[in-house]
Amino acid sequence: MNTSSRQPSTAFSAARIFELSLPQMLWSRRSILLALLVCGPMALATVPRGAWIIRPSQFTDATVGFDIYGLMIWLLYVRFIVPVLGVFYGTSMIADEVEDKTITYLFTRPIQRRAVILGKYAAYLVCTLLLVLPSAMIVFFLLVPVGGGTSIGVQFPVLIRDLGALAIGLAAYGAVFAYVGARVRRPLLAGLAFVFGWEPAMVVIPGYLKRLSVAYYLQALIPHARPPDDAGPPLIVVALRGLLEEPSALGAVVGLAVIIGLCLWAAGRAVEQREYVLEQ
Amino acid sequence: MKTRYFVIASALVLVVGIGTGMVAYYVGVPQLGVGRTGPAELRYVPADAAVVAYADVHTLMGSEIRQRIRQAMPGQENGQREFKDQTGIDIEHDVDRVVACLEPTPGGAGEGRGLVLARGRFDTARLESLMRDHGATIDTYKGKQLIIEAPPVPAGRVNGGETFAVLFIEPGLAAVGSEALVRRAVDLQGGSGSITTNDELMNLLRGVDDGTRTMWAVGRFDALAQGHELPPQIASQLPAITWFSVSGRVDSAVSASIRADTRDDAAAKNLRDVVQGFIGLARLQASARPEFKAALDSVQLGGTGKTVTLSFTVPPSAFDLLPNQASQPRAH
Repeated sequence: MNTSSRQPSTAFSAARIFELSLPQMLWSRRSILLALLVCGPMALATVPRGAWIIRPSQFTDATVGFDIYGLMIWLLYVRFIVPVLGVFYGTSMIADEVEDKTITYLFTRPIQRRAVILGKYAAYLVCTLLLVLPSAMIVFFLLVPVGGGTSIGVQFPVLIRDLGALAIGLAAYGAVFAYVGARVRRPLLAGLAFVFGWEPAMVVIPGYLKRLSVAYYLQALIPHARPPDDAGPPLIVVALRGLLEEPSALGAVVGLAVIIGLCLWAAGRAVEQREYVLEQ
Repeated sequence: MKTRYFVIASALVLVVGIGTGMVAYYVGVPQLGVGRTGPAELRYVPADAAVVAYADVHTLMGSEIRQRIRQAMPGQENGQREFKDQTGIDIEHDVDRVVACLEPTPGGAGEGRGLVLARGRFDTARLESLMRDHGATIDTYKGKQLIIEAPPVPAGRVNGGETFAVLFIEPGLAAVGSEALVRRAVDLQGGSGSITTNDELMNLLRGVDDGTRTMWAVGRFDALAQGHELPPQIASQLPAITWFSVSGRVDSAVSASIRADTRDDAAAKNLRDVVQGFIGLARLQASARPEFKAALDSVQLGGTGKTVTLSFTVPPSAFDLLPNQASQPRAH
């Protein structure tokens, strides 16, 4: 009997895994963290908006709302929310199945192992995109008109660019930590070390090492959000701005696409080759 | 099931938001500036400005009326070209809107000081270079470059008049006018004291600027007559108008509204009677010119108490009277 001919395609298998994983991911305990992360900026944005409605004469800078929006996108979303979501959800794709001892049931199905990681990755992507992107958009609508110097219509291209950057950032971090979760024994610790240790360290380490971080490419897609040169002491500005040099927008997109492709391929290989030992 | 509802709801929020943004970007829906009246540039106008005016230059330049006037009087373009050569600013393409104000000079002497805030796209380096070539000097005020051009000294006087200055308050916003007012505009950037705290004028403005007006002006009528040293016989004949407001919309036609607040009811009645008389005279004259009939039929005089209002619309057909100089044979 030729079982390989009866095995569904990778895409079909991944789709089934996606259908199974999306509700699990969305309604898990981890989602409370996700809800706090996406609702926090929206709650923060209501403060200047409310102040603008009550006492508009207080606002002397015409574009203060747009500036605050840019700062929130950069500091909250790009430097914190997106990487943290990538760590917590990406590393748990395989780790949760191992911890719950359900991975055996997945691997005994007549589907390719890499379809498991791909399906879960797709579920992660849908889950985070449908929460983070509306959150960023609502923040945009709340903040941009504050000050009266600019408008939603004028800055709409900026919103599209930011949403695109956040989407590709979520995809990149998810792919990286999907690989970390498939390969490393304690993926959460490794992921947190990468996000809060390795990437900020690239600020001070010159040379080519910075190209081994997602933030190096991601920040090139959001130039408007970086603090200006005269924002404060040089060291602080450098720390806030992130890396000192950055690729072009096209180079950044290509770089991130390569990271996503490589990491997903590597994660698929890791899942297929590794023996997952369940703790008794 | 709840997963499906969540996905649909979230996608809907995203689609509605992006759709709204696209409409605002392409169609130009006026922003929901809740709590804000008038253009944002008002924050740089001093609170004691007597007259404030606004013009949507972009809309005016692109209007059908303006194209007709341009065809009828192409000589205006020479002035525009000369202005561009001197400042590097192409009014037709570089300026989006302007806010202007007039402030009475301290003590009431002189014609008052003026300030124009122009929002658009400017080549600051070229402007600076051109003004330097005309003898301007560069100063720094609160971290911003102030280009000062002293006026020519009239014969028989030791000092010239008010100095003229240009400063870029923020990217895309130029302040042009009296040096003192330009400096005050920079001062207003850091605190309160702008015209938005002048409740009397802002109340007038709220009745005028509904976001659809191409231009408007509000202010104190006495400020317009100040400093002109009018003979007492003439000054006493000026209507007892305190506040005035004028607003207009320009597209294929020109529609305008004028409002005047007078000192008392009797003055308002007298003013209405005078205006009514002029309207009657105009109708007598227009009986021989039917092309003006539509415009005169649109004139509406009203107002109660101390207020006099006048509104009218000049239809596109009235502009057909403008001679088309392009089609007229040139004199040899």
